[in-house]
Amino acid sequence: MPKTTALSFTLIITGAPYVSQAPQTALEFARAVIAAGHRIDRVFLYGDAVHLASTLACAPSDEPQWTQIWSEFLETHRVPAIVCIASALRRGVLDEKEQKRYQRPAHNLEPPFEIAGLGEWVEGTVSSDRTLYFHPTD
Amino acid sequence: MTALVVIDRAPYGDWRGREAVDMGFSLAAFDQPVSFLFTGPGVNWLRMGQDATELSQKNLARQLGAAAIFGVEALLVDHKALAAYQLSVDTLSSPAQPVTVSPGLYGQYDHILCL
Amino acid sequence: MPSLHIVNKAPDHARFQTCLAAVADEDTLLLTENAVLAAVMAQGLPGTVFALSADLEARGLAPADIMANIGRIDFAGFVSLTEATSRIISW
Repeated sequence: MPKTTALSFTLIITGAPYVSQAPQTALEFARAVIAAGHRIDRVFLYGDAVHLASTLACAPSDEPQWTQIWSEFLETHRVPAIVCIASALRRGVLDEKEQKRYQRPAHNLEPPFEIAGLGEWVEGTVSSDRTLYFHPTD
Repeated sequence: MTALVVIDRAPYGDWRGREAVDMGFSLAAFDQPVSFLFTGPGVNWLRMGQDATELSQKNLARQLGAAAIFGVEALLVDHKALAAYQLSVDTLSSPAQPVTVSPGLYGQYDHILCL
Repeated sequence: MPSLHIVNKAPDHARFQTCLAAVADEDTLLLTENAVLAAVMAQGLPGTVFALSADLEARGLAPADIMANIGRIDFAGFVSLTEATSRIISW
């Protein structure tokens, strides 16, 4: 049955990988959104979820590499993904620009994630047809 | 879009409430109508006499005191939770409006955020 | 407009009760992650209730185990619920 209207979604993840189910529940939902013919305007990582954007995370080989899996999904479907700057800096998730600004020895932001402020989240909640959060269970 | 930020976490022990307040202030800063609802242990955000100097944390009551400056429309507080924590609406750190939490209350807002 | 409430906390988490107190009769309640454990409990849940099948299966909750008035849905069904209303609350 054809969809009457394609909707736009903003997805916010607040739970970290390997600590909560949030990144994987969000990914399965995101895949189903695309499969249903809808669009994802942006994914926003807030709080502990910024760890999902760390290119340095190394899970054991028999476990999913959530950073890479999410990165591939975002690239394939050209979904912009924003990491909240305030959450990211506190938790040590930096891009090259922030590395230089704070004179740290490394940067670790997995592309295509980008660092930006909460304004991106406000923009998403205002302009998208649907906004959903994926929180940790604690 | 009218937004309600629900704070049901106790202050200081974790950052979840603080991050929710940051989000609420951002909405207000971008001229989106937003109110806060304090419920459960979250009502302790409004307790007078907080001093977190020894914790090396910012005073959260004072942070909340900036709500009006940011343009937050209202601070709502669950009157049942106030009573449970021996708080009175007359002696809170910021002026708050006592409410009864119900589906109808949430129904007045387009966007509800509960971290 | 009816709301879609999505709750992922275990039934004894304080947030679970906060969520239930917000559900109106005409609303839909979707149980995900740890919240699917509520599907085997006798506690009455408000609204029209669904539980996410992947989370039920992971926790060993077979269709015969869950309360008769709770629907099982997959992620496609989850998306369908979000199509029905723009008032979505993630607890």
